[in-house]
Amino acid sequence: MSETDDLIALLTAPGTTLSRTISAVNALEKLTEPQRRVRIGVSSNVSVDLLSVFLRKYALLSGATADVCMGNHDDPLTDVDQFTQADVEQMVFLPFFDNLLPAFELQLELLEPEIVAAKEANLRARYRLVFEKARKMRQIYACSFHRYTPAVDTGVVNPVSRALDRFNEMLRSEAAAFPNVRIIDTGAIVHQLGAEAAFDPRFYLRNTAPFATPFINELARRIVAAARGFNSYFYKALVLDCDNTLWGGLIGEDLIEGIKLDPHSYPGRVYWQAQQAILALERQGVLLCLCSKNNPADVDEVLDKHPGTVLRREHIAARQVNWTDKVSNLQAIARELNIGLDSLVFIDDSDFECNAVRGALPMVRVLQVPKTLSDYPRLLSEICELFLAGGISAESRSKTAQYRQRQEAVDAIAQHETNEQYLASLDLRVQIARDNAANLARISELTLKSNQFNLTTLRQSPAEILQRIDSDSGTVYSLVVSDRFGNAGLTGVVLVSWQGETAKIDAFLISCRVIGRGVEFCVWPTLVEDSRRRGCHVMEAEYWPTEKNAQVADFYDRLGLPLVAEANGTRYYRAALDSFTPPLIDWIKVTQ
Amino acid sequence: MKTEDTLKDVMATVLGIVADSINEDTSMDTVEAWDSIKHMNLVLAIEEEFGISIPDEDAANITSYPLIRLVLNEQLKGK
Repeated sequence: MSETDDLIALLTAPGTTLSRTISAVNALEKLTEPQRRVRIGVSSNVSVDLLSVFLRKYALLSGATADVCMGNHDDPLTDVDQFTQADVEQMVFLPFFDNLLPAFELQLELLEPEIVAAKEANLRARYRLVFEKARKMRQIYACSFHRYTPAVDTGVVNPVSRALDRFNEMLRSEAAAFPNVRIIDTGAIVHQLGAEAAFDPRFYLRNTAPFATPFINELARRIVAAARGFNSYFYKALVLDCDNTLWGGLIGEDLIEGIKLDPHSYPGRVYWQAQQAILALERQGVLLCLCSKNNPADVDEVLDKHPGTVLRREHIAARQVNWTDKVSNLQAIARELNIGLDSLVFIDDSDFECNAVRGALPMVRVLQVPKTLSDYPRLLSEICELFLAGGISAESRSKTAQYRQRQEAVDAIAQHETNEQYLASLDLRVQIARDNAANLARISELTLKSNQFNLTTLRQSPAEILQRIDSDSGTVYSLVVSDRFGNAGLTGVVLVSWQGETAKIDAFLISCRVIGRGVEFCVWPTLVEDSRRRGCHVMEAEYWPTEKNAQVADFYDRLGLPLVAEANGTRYYRAALDSFTPPLIDWIKVTQ
Repeated sequence: MKTEDTLKDVMATVLGIVADSINEDTSMDTVEAWDSIKHMNLVLAIEEEFGISIPDEDAANITSYPLIRLVLNEQLKGK
């Protein structure tokens, strides 16, 4: 093992002491090439010095390095100014409830309700100012309020609980107005660890530092999970083994009567609960796939007929149920869904299969069903976090139906003589919208996750998209694609800056679900017309190469834009609008 | 590793100084980085490293290497 592997193992091991964590973080930062460097500011009304060490730790475990700046004590407005000057792009905002006023929880028993209400109104106004000031930051992690002192159970709701609920509601409603604010549920951390482990009253009294290291470690871990490891991953599909993963036993041997899968007994309920959790992911937009060494008919029998099955055939977006090796089958699934292997999470109970996939496909996230079944629910929570902690948009929900439509469309190609005839039969429609703030979350999500048909791979947070929408010097175009098989949703984005006489294409990307039908060409007449109307004479565009977007390296050539320069794989295009006529796609109906 | 060496390593890591430079004179007065926040981190780190709990009344007072060593040895004896 290399030194880097040793340090990573040390940082991931449970029980690594604080001092060893600090040395390992320092050493690993020296060894890590800073491919991704993130600057994070921390603004709090208590002392949380160690959060810096743990944010750096989880950044390193995601392959990034973090520079952390600590703000002043309880001075978020000044903090935001200072962070902005220091190019800090992400901020942890951590107001500690009990220190909103000295020993606030004790005072709440005595304070008049009007005073508490006034404090709430004052904080609301203050947080609104903070979020307003920080609206250009990429992301703000605003920590919710939680209880510090133990509650005496008097049988009625006490003033502290009541105030906590109200203040949290206030924080959430203020945060909801800003797309770059993500709430971190700190109450869940206290619940997970227990108050004894979460707080250290000695240092709260002496140094206004209430949190013990386990709390700070878990807070940092959750923040980095919410940031998808600072954009180091974006999982789209969960690939499932069947035997001893979706049910207990082997369907080929135990037969449908013999496998364990039911809500009322052990161990069947472990698998039944797992299927519940997995189906809930499908509802949130995660694609479910099967990769199992079995006879397809046996697996279908369970999905169609088993009284305990929660997962049904219609929930599965792609499947490879056969006797081929799992590495080839995972590759086939990625091809069929037109997504990268690094978008897959694979779960299997077998050491052999897990190791084979880890060895051959290191970009696939491999998780093993624990040998101790009572640990299975914890693994499922981990899977949910991998997919969901980064946030989800409504458009993403229940993607399976859209992918199945795509599969049916692929099948339909076979019945037509030429591709053109087929495309004409699809009755394709593209609706182009300009600066549609209602779709902000989906537009940002598409820029963050699209890799293949993406000319510049410019990642844009919701806040950055909002800035473009609000600004006069740029326009955000979004495309909604539909055909007779159904609505594929918002699947294309163009970001244009108006720079005097030049219309500059900052980003152009199309979801893989809709490429190959001419959609990528149909937006250009609208862009040319808008550019002319704004008084532009020239259009400029660039292709920035990545590991994944080779398929569009010549897209602008195919579009008819003249190549003017090329350096290190980056291709620069520039056309006089008078002489540029994009190809005509007569089988797509474009509406605005 | 001897207790004293481990202790010096922990102090060096938390305070960001060189372990070999720690001697009988090392204290909050002689090490610039050793402020109240770093002191708190130091107490936490020593507690975790040696699996002990430093009593609150000692925690604030052990502001030099000899004092920390003294309290640490007492705690380790009582373990």
